[in-house]
Amino acid sequence: MNDVRRTAAIGAAGAVAVAAYAWWAVGLPAFSAAASAGVLGAGAAAVAAGARLRARRPSGPAPATGAAGVVPWFVLAGALAALQLVAYLGQPRAEHPTLSYLANVALDTQAARAAAFVAWLAAAVDLARR
Amino acid sequence: MTRELILAGYAAAATAAVALEAAAWRSGPPATLGATLSAVLRRRPARFLLLAGWLWLGWHIFVRVDWR
Repeated sequence: MNDVRRTAAIGAAGAVAVAAYAWWAVGLPAFSAAASAGVLGAGAAAVAAGARLRARRPSGPAPATGAAGVVPWFVLAGALAALQLVAYLGQPRAEHPTLSYLANVALDTQAARAAAFVAWLAAAVDLARR
Repeated sequence: MTRELILAGYAAAATAAVALEAAAWRSGPPATLGATLSAVLRRRPARFLLLAGWLWLGWHIFVRVDWR
Protein backbone atom coordinates (compact mmCIF):
# COMPACT_ATOMS: atom_id res chain seq x y z
CA MET A 1 0.00 0.00 0.00
CA ASN A 2 1.50 3.34 -0.97
CA ASP A 3 1.63 6.32 1.40
CA VAL A 4 -1.35 8.12 -0.13
CA ARG A 5 -3.64 5.10 0.24
CA ARG A 6 -2.38 4.43 3.76
CA THR A 7 -3.04 8.06 4.76
CA ALA A 8 -6.53 7.90 3.23
CA ALA A 9 -7.28 4.63 5.05
CA ILE A 10 -6.12 6.08 8.38
CA GLY A 11 -8.19 9.22 7.77
CA ALA A 12 -11.31 7.18 6.94
CA ALA A 13 -10.86 4.99 10.02
CA GLY A 14 -10.42 8.11 12.16
CA ALA A 15 -13.57 9.68 10.73
CA VAL A 16 -15.59 6.53 11.45
CA ALA A 17 -14.21 6.41 15.00
CA VAL A 18 -15.08 10.08 15.64
CA ALA A 19 -18.59 9.58 14.25
CA ALA A 20 -19.12 6.51 16.42
CA TYR A 21 -17.86 8.36 19.48
CA ALA A 22 -20.17 11.31 18.71
CA TRP A 23 -23.16 8.97 18.41
CA TRP A 24 -22.30 7.41 21.78
CA ALA A 25 -21.53 10.71 23.57
CA VAL A 26 -24.74 12.51 22.59
CA GLY A 27 -26.74 9.47 23.72
CA LEU A 28 -25.49 9.68 27.31
CA PRO A 29 -28.05 10.81 29.93
CA ALA A 30 -28.42 14.60 30.08
CA PHE A 31 -26.93 16.41 33.08
CA SER A 32 -24.88 13.31 34.01
CA ALA A 33 -21.21 13.27 34.97
CA ALA A 34 -20.60 10.72 32.21
CA ALA A 35 -22.03 13.10 29.60
CA SER A 36 -19.93 15.99 30.95
CA ALA A 37 -16.79 13.86 30.86
CA GLY A 38 -17.59 12.47 27.41
CA VAL A 39 -18.24 15.89 25.87
CA LEU A 40 -15.60 17.95 27.65
CA GLY A 41 -12.96 15.21 27.32
CA ALA A 42 -13.47 15.05 23.55
CA GLY A 43 -13.48 18.85 23.33
CA ALA A 44 -10.23 19.08 25.28
CA ALA A 45 -8.68 16.40 23.04
CA ALA A 46 -9.77 18.38 19.96
CA VAL A 47 -8.20 21.56 21.37
CA ALA A 48 -5.00 19.64 22.13
CA ALA A 49 -4.93 18.23 18.58
CA GLY A 50 -5.35 21.74 17.17
CA ALA A 51 -2.58 23.09 19.42
CA ARG A 52 -0.30 20.30 18.20
CA LEU A 53 -0.97 21.23 14.57
CA ARG A 54 -0.23 24.85 15.47
CA ALA A 55 3.12 23.90 17.03
CA ARG A 56 4.11 21.94 13.90
CA ARG A 57 3.36 24.88 11.60
CA PRO A 58 6.49 26.67 10.38
CA SER A 59 6.85 29.90 12.35
CA GLY A 60 6.94 33.22 10.56
CA PRO A 61 5.46 36.69 10.73
CA ALA A 62 1.68 36.61 11.12
CA PRO A 63 -0.27 38.20 8.27
CA ALA A 64 -1.28 41.74 9.17
CA THR A 65 -5.00 42.27 9.80
CA GLY A 66 -5.86 45.94 10.21
CA ALA A 67 -8.45 47.27 12.64
CA ALA A 68 -10.64 48.37 9.74
CA GLY A 69 -10.84 44.76 8.68
CA VAL A 70 -11.95 43.30 12.00
CA VAL A 71 -14.25 46.07 13.32
CA PRO A 72 -17.28 45.03 11.21
CA TRP A 73 -17.09 41.53 12.71
CA PHE A 74 -16.93 42.94 16.24
CA VAL A 75 -19.94 45.16 15.53
CA LEU A 76 -21.86 42.16 14.21
CA ALA A 77 -20.86 40.03 17.21
CA GLY A 78 -21.97 42.82 19.56
CA ALA A 79 -25.34 43.17 17.83
CA LEU A 80 -25.88 39.42 17.96
CA ALA A 81 -24.94 39.34 21.66
CA ALA A 82 -27.41 42.16 22.40
CA LEU A 83 -30.20 40.36 20.53
CA GLN A 84 -29.37 37.15 22.36
CA LEU A 85 -29.51 38.99 25.71
CA VAL A 86 -32.91 40.50 24.89
CA ALA A 87 -34.21 37.03 24.02
CA TYR A 88 -32.64 35.48 27.13
CA LEU A 89 -34.27 38.01 29.46
CA GLY A 90 -37.73 37.53 27.92
CA GLN A 91 -40.31 34.87 28.79
CA PRO A 92 -41.82 32.56 27.72
CA ARG A 93 -38.88 31.01 25.92
CA ALA A 94 -40.88 29.95 22.84
CA GLU A 95 -41.82 33.62 22.29
CA HIS A 96 -38.25 34.80 23.02
CA PRO A 97 -36.07 32.13 21.39
CA THR A 98 -32.37 32.15 22.21
CA LEU A 99 -29.85 30.56 19.84
CA SER A 100 -29.46 27.54 22.11
CA TYR A 101 -33.26 27.11 22.21
CA LEU A 102 -33.31 27.12 18.40
CA ALA A 103 -30.36 24.72 18.33
CA ASN A 104 -32.26 22.31 20.59
CA VAL A 105 -35.29 22.47 18.31
CA ALA A 106 -33.11 21.74 15.28
CA LEU A 107 -31.09 19.00 16.99
CA ASP A 108 -33.95 16.81 18.15
CA THR A 109 -32.67 13.51 16.74
CA GLN A 110 -29.58 11.56 17.75
CA ALA A 111 -28.22 11.71 14.17
CA ALA A 112 -28.51 15.51 14.04
CA ARG A 113 -26.95 15.87 17.49
CA ALA A 114 -24.07 13.53 16.55
CA ALA A 115 -23.41 15.51 13.35
CA ALA A 116 -23.44 18.78 15.32
CA PHE A 117 -21.07 17.24 17.87
CA VAL A 118 -18.59 16.31 15.10
CA ALA A 119 -18.86 19.86 13.70
CA TRP A 120 -18.23 21.28 17.18
CA LEU A 121 -15.10 19.12 17.55
CA ALA A 122 -13.84 20.11 14.08
CA ALA A 123 -14.33 23.79 14.91
CA ALA A 124 -12.42 23.29 18.18
CA VAL A 125 -9.46 21.83 16.23
CA ASP A 126 -9.61 24.72 13.77
CA LEU A 127 -9.77 27.39 16.48
CA ALA A 128 -6.88 25.87 18.43
CA ARG A 129 -4.60 25.53 15.39
CA ARG A 130 -4.92 29.26 14.53
CA MET B 1 -44.75 39.26 17.34
CA THR B 2 -41.70 39.29 19.58
CA ARG B 3 -40.74 35.85 18.30
CA GLU B 4 -40.89 37.02 14.69
CA LEU B 5 -38.79 40.10 15.48
CA ILE B 6 -36.12 38.04 17.23
CA LEU B 7 -36.03 35.47 14.42
CA ALA B 8 -35.76 38.30 11.88
CA GLY B 9 -32.83 39.68 13.89
CA TYR B 10 -31.02 36.33 13.78
CA ALA B 11 -31.69 36.06 10.04
CA ALA B 12 -30.35 39.60 9.51
CA ALA B 13 -27.20 38.76 11.49
CA ALA B 14 -26.64 35.61 9.41
CA THR B 15 -27.18 37.58 6.18
CA ALA B 16 -24.76 40.28 7.34
CA ALA B 17 -22.14 37.61 8.15
CA VAL B 18 -22.45 36.10 4.67
CA ALA B 19 -22.25 39.58 3.10
CA LEU B 20 -19.14 40.48 5.14
CA GLU B 21 -17.42 37.23 4.19
CA ALA B 22 -18.31 37.72 0.52
CA ALA B 23 -16.98 41.30 0.59
CA ALA B 24 -13.78 40.09 2.24
CA TRP B 25 -13.21 37.47 -0.47
CA ARG B 26 -13.79 40.03 -3.23
CA SER B 27 -11.33 42.70 -2.15
CA GLY B 28 -11.67 43.62 1.55
CA PRO B 29 -11.76 45.29 3.97
CA PRO B 30 -13.42 43.71 5.90
CA ALA B 31 -11.15 40.81 6.76
CA THR B 32 -12.48 37.29 6.40
CA LEU B 33 -13.95 35.69 9.51
CA GLY B 34 -10.98 33.30 9.57
CA ALA B 35 -8.47 36.17 9.48
CA THR B 36 -10.40 37.97 12.22
CA LEU B 37 -10.38 34.87 14.41
CA SER B 38 -6.66 34.38 13.77
CA ALA B 39 -5.98 38.00 14.76
CA VAL B 40 -8.00 37.63 17.96
CA LEU B 41 -6.44 34.26 18.83
CA ARG B 42 -2.90 35.69 18.65
CA ARG B 43 -3.61 37.39 22.01
CA ARG B 44 -3.23 34.87 24.80
CA PRO B 45 -6.11 36.03 27.09
CA ALA B 46 -8.50 36.17 24.13
CA ARG B 47 -7.30 32.74 23.04
CA PHE B 48 -8.01 31.30 26.49
CA LEU B 49 -11.45 32.95 26.67
CA LEU B 50 -12.50 31.89 23.18
CA LEU B 51 -11.42 28.26 23.58
CA ALA B 52 -12.96 28.04 27.08
CA GLY B 53 -16.15 29.60 25.72
CA TRP B 54 -16.22 27.07 22.90
CA LEU B 55 -15.93 24.18 25.37
CA TRP B 56 -18.68 25.71 27.51
CA LEU B 57 -20.92 26.02 24.43
CA GLY B 58 -20.50 22.32 23.65
CA TRP B 59 -21.26 21.38 27.24
CA HIS B 60 -24.31 23.66 27.22
CA ILE B 61 -25.71 22.18 24.01
CA PHE B 62 -24.78 18.52 24.39
CA VAL B 63 -24.98 17.93 28.16
CA ARG B 64 -27.46 20.40 29.61
CA VAL B 65 -30.40 19.41 27.42
CA ASP B 66 -32.68 16.41 27.80
CA TRP B 67 -33.55 16.20 24.10
CA ARG B 68 -35.40 12.85 24.08
